Amino acid sequence: MESKVLKPMLGVYVGLFILFLYGPFIVLGILSFQQGPEGGPQFPIIEWSTYWYKHLFGLTPPSRIAPLPVGEALIRSLVLAFMTMVTSTVLGVMAAQAFRKRFRGAGLVFYLIVLGMMVPGVLTGLGTSLLANNVVGIERHWWSTAFLAHVVYTFPFAFLVMLAILNRFDGSVEEASWSLGVSPIRTFRKVTFPLIFPGVLSAMLFAFTLSFDEFPRTLFASGRDQTLPLAIYGTFSVEIHPNIFAFGVMTTLFSFALLSVYGILMALSVRRAKKVAMQEDIS
Amino acid sequence: MTTESTNRQKSNAFRLLAPGVVWMILFLVAPIMMIVYVSFWTQTTFSINSTLTLESWKNFFGSEAYVGALWTTIRLWLIVLAMTFLIGYPAALYVGLLVKSKTVSTILLVLCVIPFWTSFLIRVLAWRPMLGKEGAINIILQKFGLIDSPIEVLLFSELSVIIGMTQIYVVFMVGPIAFMLGRIDRNIIEAARDLGAGFGRIFWKIIFPLSLPGVVVGAIFVSVMVLGEFATSGALSGRKVNLLGNIIVTQVGSLKWAMASVVGVILTILLGIVVAGFLRIVDLKREI
Repeated sequence: MESKVLKPMLGVYVGLFILFLYGPFIVLGILSFQQGPEGGPQFPIIEWSTYWYKHLFGLTPPSRIAPLPVGEALIRSLVLAFMTMVTSTVLGVMAAQAFRKRFRGAGLVFYLIVLGMMVPGVLTGLGTSLLANNVVGIERHWWSTAFLAHVVYTFPFAFLVMLAILNRFDGSVEEASWSLGVSPIRTFRKVTFPLIFPGVLSAMLFAFTLSFDEFPRTLFASGRDQTLPLAIYGTFSVEIHPNIFAFGVMTTLFSFALLSVYGILMALSVRRAKKVAMQEDIS
Repeated sequence: MTTESTNRQKSNAFRLLAPGVVWMILFLVAPIMMIVYVSFWTQTTFSINSTLTLESWKNFFGSEAYVGALWTTIRLWLIVLAMTFLIGYPAALYVGLLVKSKTVSTILLVLCVIPFWTSFLIRVLAWRPMLGKEGAINIILQKFGLIDSPIEVLLFSELSVIIGMTQIYVVFMVGPIAFMLGRIDRNIIEAARDLGAGFGRIFWKIIFPLSLPGVVVGAIFVSVMVLGEFATSGALSGRKVNLLGNIIVTQVGSLKWAMASVVGVILTILLGIVVAGFLRIVDLKREI
């Protein structure tokens, strides 16, 4: 049959496809070990060294190549991503909770929220800056205007993740809790929240990473202090050195650390859920 | 259910929704309205005032460079959309449908997503040492004797922008398609096979139509991102390729807010038409 030929062919294709996805990254990783400070961001590798990693941390003797302005930018980006994560997850959980009951205008509200991830970042950023400059008359900052624009972007993701989780949620446990006289807030804390926790975790991960790497919205909305993506963008216009590649490798490792924490928390919460289910089976 | 409890639930839903809805109206809808409004403001060299005029709009459509950017944006969007579909669909077909083991399929999907944990801008930048005259691709091709002299058109051209964008956005096409393919009931395919249908027929009559919602979702993702792009074209074309996004950035950079707004409105309209068009092909609400 044709699929006998097709399947191995597609298998090879997927291999090539993954090579296409990883190609630039492999090259970037190799070039981050270029000799410094004369070695450029291209082949051939003159001599393997960790110069550019040391350069990143300011451990090299001064040279004509300025260090990447990432220190403060990194802290700003982390704080901004954290603020965005908390806000959009809270908004997302609340909105998704409301969607469990049918109400008039649900379609409209749904599209209003989803619009946030549909509108190109450059427009959100532009509009926010225009409003801040010309109507409200405030200065733009990464923690004010950029934060507002970031939540506009990440809230829809959190909302959709929570909606997917709550769609599969069995409401009878909550009703049982209410009928036993437990207050709604306590029910949410003790019953609902632990059950939807994996979703909350995913929403948080989404919001954090999207905000941490968010660039077009931040470019216009953040004013004079740079966040991490803006610091990287700043290097675009000047000569590129392999320190930016070393930095790319470092941020990827950081992302993986974050992903691992997420994985561990997820596994723990799944295991706890299983344990609870087993206890219920026994009793 | 009693009216009282229904009422309580209604006010409950309202209280839960209010913060999110207010946020979106104030910080998303209002800014977009503001862009529309400012596009009619009067721009002078150093300042802008709120006297309404069509001047910036006339300037846009009177300038070959600006209108050219509109066409470049549409052309590049169509090419990248086609590329992500053509390159992404076979991969999604394998991952979502042909791989029998759930574990292998998950591993492959995760492998596809991992590059996204590197900063977007660094991913863009990483294409430079790939495509340059002394870049990895040229070196490899020369080593294998496939070419005599390096291909120069690979970097700082429209081609480099297309390659870069395709690699960066193809996963947004693969994901939704693989998801829809994974949901297809294998019994339908078995039944068709038992009735004597070949793979081509099964593909066109069953698999492709059932995966169409995934294609549409993927196309919307890719379109939204490519139409609003400016970083990839800026970094990989050496300013040869100007998209609408690039014009907005340049205009804001020289404090020409009115012109930036005009381009913003045109971009919004373009995007609205594209997304509405895709939603006409497939009724997403019914599919999900």
